[in-house]
Amino acid sequence: MKALKINPLVFIIINVLAPSMYIFIKATYLLPFLMIFSACVLLLMGRFKRLGISAVIYVAMFGVYSLFMKIEALNFWGLFVLILMQSFPCAVLAVLLVSKYSSAELLSALEGLRLPRPLVVAATITLKYVPTFARELKFITESMRLRGIKFSILKPISSFRYFIAPQLFRCSALSEEVTAAGLVKGIDAPIRRTSFFEQKIRFSDVALLAVFLIGTLGGLIWAK
Amino acid sequence: MGEVVIKADNLSFNYKESKEGIHNNSFEIKRGEVILLTGNSGSGKSTLLKCLNGLIPEIQEGDISGDITINGQEYNKLKMFELNKDIGSVFQNPRSQFFTDESTAELVFPMENYGYSKEEMQARLDKLIRAFSLEKVIGRNIFTLSSGERQKLALATSLTLDQKVLLFDEPSANLDYGNAMKLGLTIRELRDKGLTIIVSDHRFFYLNGIIDKVLFMDSGNLKIYESEEEFKNGDYNTRSFDLFEINTPFKKEKETYETVASMKDVSYKDILKDINIDFNKGETTVIVGSNGAGKTTLAKLLCKTYKPDKGKINEKGLPFFIMQDPDYQLFGTSVHNELTIVKKDEERINKLLEKFGLKEYKHTHPFDLSGGQKQRLQIAMAMLCDKEVIIFDEPTSGLDVTSMQRVSGEICSLSENAAVLVISHDYEFIRNVADRIVYIDEGTVKEDFMLNSETVLRLNSIFTKMEEAACK
Repeated sequence: MKALKINPLVFIIINVLAPSMYIFIKATYLLPFLMIFSACVLLLMGRFKRLGISAVIYVAMFGVYSLFMKIEALNFWGLFVLILMQSFPCAVLAVLLVSKYSSAELLSALEGLRLPRPLVVAATITLKYVPTFARELKFITESMRLRGIKFSILKPISSFRYFIAPQLFRCSALSEEVTAAGLVKGIDAPIRRTSFFEQKIRFSDVALLAVFLIGTLGGLIWAK
Repeated sequence: MGEVVIKADNLSFNYKESKEGIHNNSFEIKRGEVILLTGNSGSGKSTLLKCLNGLIPEIQEGDISGDITINGQEYNKLKMFELNKDIGSVFQNPRSQFFTDESTAELVFPMENYGYSKEEMQARLDKLIRAFSLEKVIGRNIFTLSSGERQKLALATSLTLDQKVLLFDEPSANLDYGNAMKLGLTIRELRDKGLTIIVSDHRFFYLNGIIDKVLFMDSGNLKIYESEEEFKNGDYNTRSFDLFEINTPFKKEKETYETVASMKDVSYKDILKDINIDFNKGETTVIVGSNGAGKTTLAKLLCKTYKPDKGKINEKGLPFFIMQDPDYQLFGTSVHNELTIVKKDEERINKLLEKFGLKEYKHTHPFDLSGGQKQRLQIAMAMLCDKEVIIFDEPTSGLDVTSMQRVSGEICSLSENAAVLVISHDYEFIRNVADRIVYIDEGTVKEDFMLNSETVLRLNSIFTKMEEAACK
């Protein structure tokens, strides 16, 4: 089967809606629905390896959760893991969005929403920041290893300090660089942006979104 | 010469949070000129360049005064997007250069922003691919490109809107000698096509014979040399336009060496093949080779980041590795704390702070230091760590001549107690620090010799070879 190319707009809408649905819909319905939904999306897009890895992570989290809930002293942490589990399917889709689509494609998709230009630019720069940050992280963990600074759970505060402080300092420099890269290429031009990689909304996109909406709406009715 | 393209009149800019800035700069740039903008680190080159491409005052807070015009239009009446239709910018840092992560997306990105139709974009794209021979670059992830390819892509991207003025920010910083010489040729061709080119750089050997005017910055004040000749005859150390002519004394060969690390028949993927090198205490070994020859891979094998597929690496513990970007490597809360992470030895720490002029910054956060101070802190850390192997990756990229000489001295004193391995493209720096040269090409050690008055010609011919390969 040919892997399906899904319009990034579909992902953006789902990512905005899905997490907030936990307020209205019971997790006992919403979580399995989102799990099945995101698994189907991964299958349709031919991301079998990612599906496998995600499944393993989820099962591991479930194991940790069950274990923690059996030991009273760890119940609090068990609930923490549960929250992570609930956001997991959304996180899978979010990762797909930033890894599979280039910032140019995302920008085109956001343009399609006819949002105010400054918002589109800000959103694109933020989305572009994620992969840049991921790349930087590799350098930092590597040089921590070479310096003999270990990231240890036993020393959470000092590990966190070594890890987070450089990140915060880099954030300001990085955001300036990313903004500069966009600005000198006319990202601020008040012209209707065109797209070289233009993706029309296809039947598959509408169908996917419809399944998502019907599923969540169904949950709303069922919850009543 | 043609008409005036850019004109600045008493241009000043003062940063809100520091004393640095530029003061009353006045100059004219004519169509078709090649301008070199140079000066020591912190002299205000980048500030002036940012004023020229509009990033000041767009994203930098501070006070700007004076006039600056392009083709007779005042900058302050132009929006960023209007200005960037005329001016293309090539940054040295890929993070500020590229907005997307794919080469085709990057090339069309400016055109999309300016609302070009798909047909126009395709036509322009085809033209750029032909003009810059981008056939092998197109459709690839930017982070998998070699630095030469990245430079070509950056250049092509900055010309997508058919800009007539090009700004380069330290283009040679990440280029090997061959690719830098090739960039010189490209700049010459672009100038012949009528483009106006402004290059801000510490190194300028690759511009020999093509500079029309030099804008020399000194603490924010501008001095103008009306010709390359005038600049060469001036009192600034021009860091030699003709690299091979420099006259640096060679280091004395030692009688005995103690081998502290070695690579025996090491191979890694298809990058390195059967590498045999011994690293000796008291010796500075410089690894030379084109971008992508496998120099950094070799360093990473020594750091155990990668495991060799074949062969053996003998060493005691991990080496101390000083990367190009110090920001990835500093984790302390203060300069003093940074050194105590390496070793808790108050007496030595105090001595090192004194030696490297960092005593008054003892309680400063490492990230608040200047680039040069960060590098000095790293060298102090290397001295304190007592490791037997110390590796430097391009320590002089982006350094002015004075800083380069200072680092050379520090590396030489570091090598008294350790085997120092330096990866570098900087010929002048290599002549200052090297005891030994190892030339890597096509994944193998092509040459390995002690550098002295007899072997210097071998080093020169390696550089000439790299130039020929790049400019083919």
